[in-house]
Amino acid sequence: MSFFFQELVNGITTGALYSLVALGFSMVYGVLKLLNFAHGDLYMVGAYVGFFVIQFFGGAAHVRIPVPLLLAIMFLLAAGLVGGLGVAMERFAYRPLRDAPRIAPLITAIGISFFLESSALLLFGAQFRVYNTAEFISLSSGIQIGSVTIDSVQIMVLVLGLVLMTGLQLLVKRTRLGRQMRAVAADREAAEMLGINVNFVIASTFFLGSALAGIAGVMGGLLFNQVTATIGFIAGLKAFTAAVVGGIGSIPGAMLGGLVIGVAESFVTGYISSTYTNLIVFGLLIVVMLVRPSGLLGQVQLQKV
Amino acid sequence: MEAYPVKGRLVLAAAAVGALAVAGCSSSSSSSTSSSASGSASAATKSCVASVGFEGPITGPVASLGAEQLHFAELAVSMDNAANHTQITLVQGDTQLQPAQATTVTQQFISNSAILAVVGPAGSQEVEAVGGPMGRAGMAFISGSATAVALTTGSYPTFFRVVSKDSVQGPQDANYIVNNLHPKALMIVDDQEAYSTGLVSAMLPIFQAAGIKVDHESVSQKVTDFSSLVAKITPDESVVVLPWQIAANAQQFGRDMAQEHKTAVIFGTDGLFSPGTFTISGSYVSSFGPDITAIPADASIAQAAQAKYGSFGTFGPPVFAATHVIDEAIASVCKAGQTPSRANVLAAIKQTNESTSILGQPISFDSHGDLNGGKFFLFKISSAGKYQLIPS
Repeated sequence: MSFFFQELVNGITTGALYSLVALGFSMVYGVLKLLNFAHGDLYMVGAYVGFFVIQFFGGAAHVRIPVPLLLAIMFLLAAGLVGGLGVAMERFAYRPLRDAPRIAPLITAIGISFFLESSALLLFGAQFRVYNTAEFISLSSGIQIGSVTIDSVQIMVLVLGLVLMTGLQLLVKRTRLGRQMRAVAADREAAEMLGINVNFVIASTFFLGSALAGIAGVMGGLLFNQVTATIGFIAGLKAFTAAVVGGIGSIPGAMLGGLVIGVAESFVTGYISSTYTNLIVFGLLIVVMLVRPSGLLGQVQLQKV
Repeated sequence: MEAYPVKGRLVLAAAAVGALAVAGCSSSSSSSTSSSASGSASAATKSCVASVGFEGPITGPVASLGAEQLHFAELAVSMDNAANHTQITLVQGDTQLQPAQATTVTQQFISNSAILAVVGPAGSQEVEAVGGPMGRAGMAFISGSATAVALTTGSYPTFFRVVSKDSVQGPQDANYIVNNLHPKALMIVDDQEAYSTGLVSAMLPIFQAAGIKVDHESVSQKVTDFSSLVAKITPDESVVVLPWQIAANAQQFGRDMAQEHKTAVIFGTDGLFSPGTFTISGSYVSSFGPDITAIPADASIAQAAQAKYGSFGTFGPPVFAATHVIDEAIASVCKAGQTPSRANVLAAIKQTNESTSILGQPISFDSHGDLNGGKFFLFKISSAGKYQLIPS
């Protein structure tokens, strides 16, 4: 039974990361009907930001400031910089194509993805950058329940992921900006006629989605330790899948989709074999899509932002 | 420290003697030819201009290995040009470890008449893709990391390698595990690439013959979360074999093991030799290349590489050796008074007979392009993260 819970914890932790990245995918799709394939690369940029913050403050083994402060700076800076990068992407690459055929921004998104990946390769080199999380956050500082281990980084990822997802849901449901987002998602032209600053709303959506990807990048760096220019590809692929499975455009759907994929991967690896993880998980997802083409929450609780 | 310059001088002397011998055996015009070849060897090499192609994964998921290979190829060309007074230039080709991309790069190299030989490609699957075109073009190519057995069965007549092959490494590693680590059960995880699955195939029969219970798993190189897989390691599984190409992944695997209180010993291969990246204490790493920082004769090369490019593993030095073989072949052709061509460079490479090399062993090739006397090196990582060579 402890094995079951260990795999569950592992799966939920990974799933929380998928969910955070999937949220950005889903939000952007909701307002622009754009599949932003460069979104995974924002995760990569966030991971690099976190890495360089650690280096700036003395490196993993010799951090010069209190660790909670270091973590706060990592997350805030990643959110701010990556959010800003997302806004710049929207302003200079997607906005000029807003009224173009849908294939144009799609190709642009792929181009931006390669641009970011290649830029990171040129700027930061091909070598793996390592967070060395264990140097400043002890692996033993966590929760031990029987033989189930939940380390402090996993706890932080779970708590922060939950807070961010809840916060985003409240923002979309309870705030003026959230209502404007939903209005733009429902009908952009009508929203404009009602006096909503559509450009601002879309830019805000890009900022929020990208900031979440940046934070997820730092979380990924803390959890998995390594950063390279190519880590965004697989993160983006998983997040895109999570968004589609959950019901693309739906915020609760993106959360659920990420968790479903994370937990499914964990259990297939644990109870069957890692050899068949992708085969079985994506096979199940195909079945889900056949049964519910609009995703798990696409029909029941579709909520565009 | 001095081995490389000394070796360079020996090769120079050997080439000069060879040139004299050729001149002495030639026709009535030999007098002026020999005079030219021997008396003005430096003049001949000064105009020794050629290009060498480099094929490696400069970008993509194993770009860190490709960058190291490229750095050592550049270093070899630079040092050899200085030692031999040649003007060899390196032409880069990024294969991304993809056979299709390697084929495209190879076609470009073949159509570039200035390129006389190629260093690389890195992966066995790439060698299989480009072996035919290279052979038809008469282009010699030397890999510093392709270890699949099938590459040197005669299908690719212009292929050479300066590393040993899987049929040596797989059984050697498996036997070491059986005889020295004595596991009742073990987990072996391939990374879904030909290199990794080939090694697993070579190891499994030995484990099974020894009665060891094997849990064979498989994860993509792109995966960085091993927590679910690590949770599967049972107390009986005292060894985890990771024949992987990405050291950072193995490091994360080790961290996940520590986090879940798993005490199995990691046994990795080639790609895990990365002292700056893979530092899990008590782990073993077998490698086709030695740790050249521990070879006194390679000190000057190691220092030059560290000064220029930073830390490195075992993927760079074999590429240095491969590049050096090509450079020396071109230089020997020039010193013999000939204009280097793909044909005479290929012929010179076949005659390679270096008494020592950066790899700490002689380099010569058998009739199929395999390194004569190729071997693997086994290291254990100490508690301080140091790689300690285990005597064979």
